[in-house]
Amino acid sequence: MIHDFLIYFLLIVLIYTIIVMSFNLAVGFTGLVNLGHMVFFGIGAYASALLALSGAPWYLAVPSSALIAALSGAIIAALTVRLKGDYFQIVTLGLVFIAVTLSRNWISLTRGALGLPGVPPIFKDSLHYMIFVMAVFALSVIFFYWLTNSGTGKIFQAIRDDETASSVLGKNTYFYKILSITISTFFAGLAGSLFVHYIKFVDPTIFDLEFFVLILSMLIAGGLASIQGSIAGVFTLGIFVELIRFIDRVPLLSTVLAQHPELIGASRTMVYSVIVIYLLIFRPRGIFGRVEV
Amino acid sequence: MPSILPQLIINGLIAGSIYALAAAGFALVYYVLKFQYFSHGAIMSIAAYSFFAFLNLMGMNYLFSGALTVIISILATLLTNFLIYNPLRKRRATSNIKLIVSVVLLIFATALLQAIFGSSTKSITLGQNKVFDFGTFTITSIQLSIIIIAIIIFLALWFILKKTRLGKAMRALADNKEVAQVVGISPEKIYTYTFIIAGMVAAVGGILLGLEQNLYPRMGIPIIVKGFVSSVVGGLGSVPGSIIGGLFIGLAENIGVLYFPTGYKDIISFVIMLLFLLLRPQGILGVKARDS
Repeated sequence: MIHDFLIYFLLIVLIYTIIVMSFNLAVGFTGLVNLGHMVFFGIGAYASALLALSGAPWYLAVPSSALIAALSGAIIAALTVRLKGDYFQIVTLGLVFIAVTLSRNWISLTRGALGLPGVPPIFKDSLHYMIFVMAVFALSVIFFYWLTNSGTGKIFQAIRDDETASSVLGKNTYFYKILSITISTFFAGLAGSLFVHYIKFVDPTIFDLEFFVLILSMLIAGGLASIQGSIAGVFTLGIFVELIRFIDRVPLLSTVLAQHPELIGASRTMVYSVIVIYLLIFRPRGIFGRVEV
Repeated sequence: MPSILPQLIINGLIAGSIYALAAAGFALVYYVLKFQYFSHGAIMSIAAYSFFAFLNLMGMNYLFSGALTVIISILATLLTNFLIYNPLRKRRATSNIKLIVSVVLLIFATALLQAIFGSSTKSITLGQNKVFDFGTFTITSIQLSIIIIAIIIFLALWFILKKTRLGKAMRALADNKEVAQVVGISPEKIYTYTFIIAGMVAAVGGILLGLEQNLYPRMGIPIIVKGFVSSVVGGLGSVPGSIIGGLFIGLAENIGVLYFPTGYKDIISFVIMLLFLLLRPQGILGVKARDS
C-alpha cells in the first residue's frame, strides 16, 4: 500500500518536474511567458495515446509524440514570438481554449469528452516504469543543466534581460526564441507521453486551468531561471498537494466533511488556491528564483 | 438559409451584450490598473449564483434580489482588492503575477460555488417569459431586457468615463500615474472606485448570464475567456472597444453557425482573436500595445 503510494508519488513528481523544467526554460530562462505550455503536454499525451492505440511500439510512440509537440511548438513560436507586450501571453493563453475545443469536438480523432482509454503501459510493473521514468528524468535534468550553462543558454538569458542589446550584438533573437520554445515544448510533449503511458487514459480535462495552475505554481514556488528550483518546487508543492488529500482527516473539519463528502474536492481546491495566492504575494521569486515573471 | 439570418443576428446580439459586459469589466481594470483581470469572471459567477439564491431559494422579488446581488458583487470585488490586489500592488508585483493570481481566484470561486451550491446545474426561474414573434425572428421578454439593460450599462460606463471627474481621474491615472499623483489624484482611491464599478458591471453581467443559460460552478471561466477575447479584438484596454468587441464576437459566433458545426463555436472567437493579434494587434479601435 505505502509502496504503491510511493511509486505513484515519485512517478507523478518526476513527470511534473520534466514539465516544470521545460516550462522554466521558456518562462524563466528566455522570458517568454508561454501560458499555453500545457497545450504541448496535452499534444504529447494525445499523440502518444493515439500512436500507442494504433499499435506503435513505445520506443516509437514516445519520441515521436515529443517531436510532434516540438514541431507544433516551433510553428506556433514562429508565428507569435515577435508579438510585443502582453500579446504573446494572450495568444498562448488562447491556445489552451483552442486545444480544449478541438479535443472536445474532433471526435473522429480524440473521441471528444469520452477521451482515449486503454493506452498500453510501457512496463507491466509500475516499479519498472518508475525506474524508466527516473532515467528519462535524470537525462532531462543533465540536459537542462548543460543547456542553461551553454552558450545557447546564455543567449536565451541575454534575450530575457535585454532583447534589443542581444540583437545589437548580432544575435538572431527571433531564431533563439523559436529554439527555446521548440526545446521547451519537446520536453512538455515527452512528459505528456510519459504521463499518458502511466495514467493509461487521456481526455480534454488534461487542458483544465486547474492543472495548469498547479504546474505554474510549482514553477513559481521553485523559482524562475533555476533548474534546482524547479525540482524543489515540484517536490515541496507535490508533497503539499498529497497532504491536502488528507484534508478529511483534519479534526473538526473531518466531521463536516464526513457529512458532506462532495465538499472534499472543493475544499482542497480552495485551500490550494489560497496558499498559491499568498505564495505569489509574499514570495513571487520562489525558493531559488533569480528573476520575476 | 438567409431566412434564419435575422434570428442569428438577434441571438448574436444577446450573447454579444453579455460578452460585452464581461469584456467591459476586464477592460476597465486593464485600463486603470494595467493587469489582466480574469477574476471578473469569478465575480460574475458569484453574482449569478447570489441572484439565484435570493430569487429562487429565498423567494425575494427580482428587484430586491438584483439590488442585493449588486451589493454582494461589490463587496466581493472590494474584498479581493483588499486581501489580494492591494498587497500585490504594495509589493510591486509584476502584471504577470497579477494575471496568474486573478486566474487562481477564478478557480477559487469555482470551488467555492461548488462547495456552497453543489456541482449540479441550476437555472433561474423568473416569472412569465413572453415570446415576441416578429415573423423572421422571435425574442423573449427576458432576452429583450438583457439587451436593454446591457445598453444602459454601456451608456452609464461611457458617461462615467467621459463626463465625470472620476472618469477624468481614471483616465489621467491610466495615462500617467506619476503626473496624476502630482496633480493630487490618489491612485488607491481611484483603484477602489474602479473596482466598485467593475463589481457593478460584473453583477449585472452575472445576472444576465444566469438568465440566459444554466448556472454551474465553472461558468465564470468560459464567460471571462469570451470577455478577454472580445477585449483583445476591440482593442486591449479600451472600454468602448471591448464593448464593440463583445458584440462583434457574439455576432460572429452566431452567424458562424451557418458555416461551421456548432461545436466549433468557441473556436471562431479564438481564430478571430489570433487573426487580430497577427494582423491588427491594436484591435478594432486601435489602442497602442503596451510593453510589459
